Amino acid sequence: MKKSKKYIAFIAPAFILYTVFMIIPILFAMYYSFFNWNGIGDMVFIGLNNFKRLLTEPRMSRIFFNALSNNFVYLLCVMVLITPIQLFFAYVLNIKIRAHKYLQLMLFLPYVVSTSIVGFFATLMFDPNIGVLNSILSSLGLEESAWLGNPDLSFKIFVGVVIWQCIGSGMMIFYANMKEIPDSLIEASIIDGAGELRKFFNVVLPQLTSSLSTNITLSVIFALTMFDIPFMLGGPQGGVNNTIDFVNMVFYRYAFGGAYFGETSLGFGSSISVTMFLIILTMSMLVKALLKKVKIDY
Amino acid sequence: MVFRKKEFKIAESASVRLVKNTISVILVVYTFITLFLFGNTILSSFKEKQELINNTIGIPKRFTLENYRTLLVEKDFLRYFFNSFFLVFLSLFLLLLVASMAAYGLSSFKFRGNSVLQTYFLIGLMFPIQLGILPLFIMLTRLHLNNTIPGLALLYAANMSFPLLVFSKFFRGIPTSLSESARIDGAGEFRVFLSIIIPMSKPVLFTMGLINFVTIWNDFYMPLVFLTKNSVRTLTLAVYTFMANFLANWHLVFAAVVVALLPVIIVFFRFSDQIVSGLTGGAVKE
Repeated sequence: MKKSKKYIAFIAPAFILYTVFMIIPILFAMYYSFFNWNGIGDMVFIGLNNFKRLLTEPRMSRIFFNALSNNFVYLLCVMVLITPIQLFFAYVLNIKIRAHKYLQLMLFLPYVVSTSIVGFFATLMFDPNIGVLNSILSSLGLEESAWLGNPDLSFKIFVGVVIWQCIGSGMMIFYANMKEIPDSLIEASIIDGAGELRKFFNVVLPQLTSSLSTNITLSVIFALTMFDIPFMLGGPQGGVNNTIDFVNMVFYRYAFGGAYFGETSLGFGSSISVTMFLIILTMSMLVKALLKKVKIDY
Repeated sequence: MVFRKKEFKIAESASVRLVKNTISVILVVYTFITLFLFGNTILSSFKEKQELINNTIGIPKRFTLENYRTLLVEKDFLRYFFNSFFLVFLSLFLLLLVASMAAYGLSSFKFRGNSVLQTYFLIGLMFPIQLGILPLFIMLTRLHLNNTIPGLALLYAANMSFPLLVFSKFFRGIPTSLSESARIDGAGEFRVFLSIIIPMSKPVLFTMGLINFVTIWNDFYMPLVFLTKNSVRTLTLAVYTFMANFLANWHLVFAAVVVALLPVIIVFFRFSDQIVSGLTGGAVKE
């Protein structure tokens, strides 16, 4: 390391850009959340009233808590469904099953597909009139379905679409981690006569703490900021009966969509994003603490 | 005892092999969904309007480039394509330049407050991008940068915590002997940075560039908020607005999707390994 004043010239551009367009807006969001303000007129300080309205006013809190519970149901799906599938796919790639090179590319491919194209693919598959699935059903003589228009199905379809698109990145992070496990460790367990399952839980999984913590942390944030895919599948209102509505979409509607009694409310919109941030912060700290505990256990 | 790989293959029981092959078959069938979606979209983009109404699946009876012509010439997709490219390259240029410079400043100079600054630059990882979006919207509007591509590029470049972290880690691993001898030869700090550090960091700059290319090219949320005017629309946004009225545009949507997909698909098949190492960002290697 050198001692010199030159570092200022290196750091200053980043510092200014980052402070102005990253940190200050966050502080302002927190500030706005205490005001009643539509962006043009006077700002009126109203303390915690925005938060109170969000959490207690019957009409508003129903929308908010419905969306929040969708975020958490999805997070649950991540933990019990998506992460295990990613782990499983990574593992079968790692033991080099037949066609693993082809599978690796094809499973990872949807990662580079933009969500608006995912929306197009969903229309292609699920649209009641022109979708592939209904034409298959009708050609088989079976009853057609409304798919995303059916409130019992929409969340399941949403999870399916997310699995199709988003599984690749986490899978590759696991896979990259697995490749670093020395062969000798796995071979030793084969000599012991351990089955694939036992081998996986006793030998492979304990070596994956770094990728597990990366993936879990990323998916907690992804789950709680969910926006693109439900927006594509169900529109800004989050589908029939708001079955695929998420907090971030509620925020978008109130901040930019004029859903606040027909007008845009920046103060109220900010209180939604600040609330969401506090929830994300709590959850990530929880996950961090949990992961630390697990690490010590090994 | 040292066993060779081959001997294990023989030792693998028939039942294990059966399970493995079954999993292969299931996964291959599963990936046919992806193949079908991509293949059918490409094939349908060459179909005539009349044919598409009755026949969404399968090989076109007559190939036509009419859809692409209409799309690029009459529907402004050439402009959207240019907008996307301009946005991606401007953002990447700013992001990589500013983040690598700061990372160099933080990792090779000793000064008071260095570690505080490092933490400060990492705070960005904690915040969801949506938190600051309302104030950003107001700021950009007041700076007359809303609905401009450079304005949005500034926001992407400001989201620099992750690349900065990766670059700092990488720069700390570069042996100082090279830059020291350059300094003795009279090279200034910027000379050292440009002609020694940057060339040595090409792989890490490239992978960070790649994943940000894919992310920014595909991003939907930020353009939805910040690029609402037709003249600055990006491709992903254009595909979305097209889809909103898809029955009228049904014959053009397929070609639009192909145009938007093409660059990322090429990048994917050429550089999938580098994308993965960009994703993990060295986090796994610890």
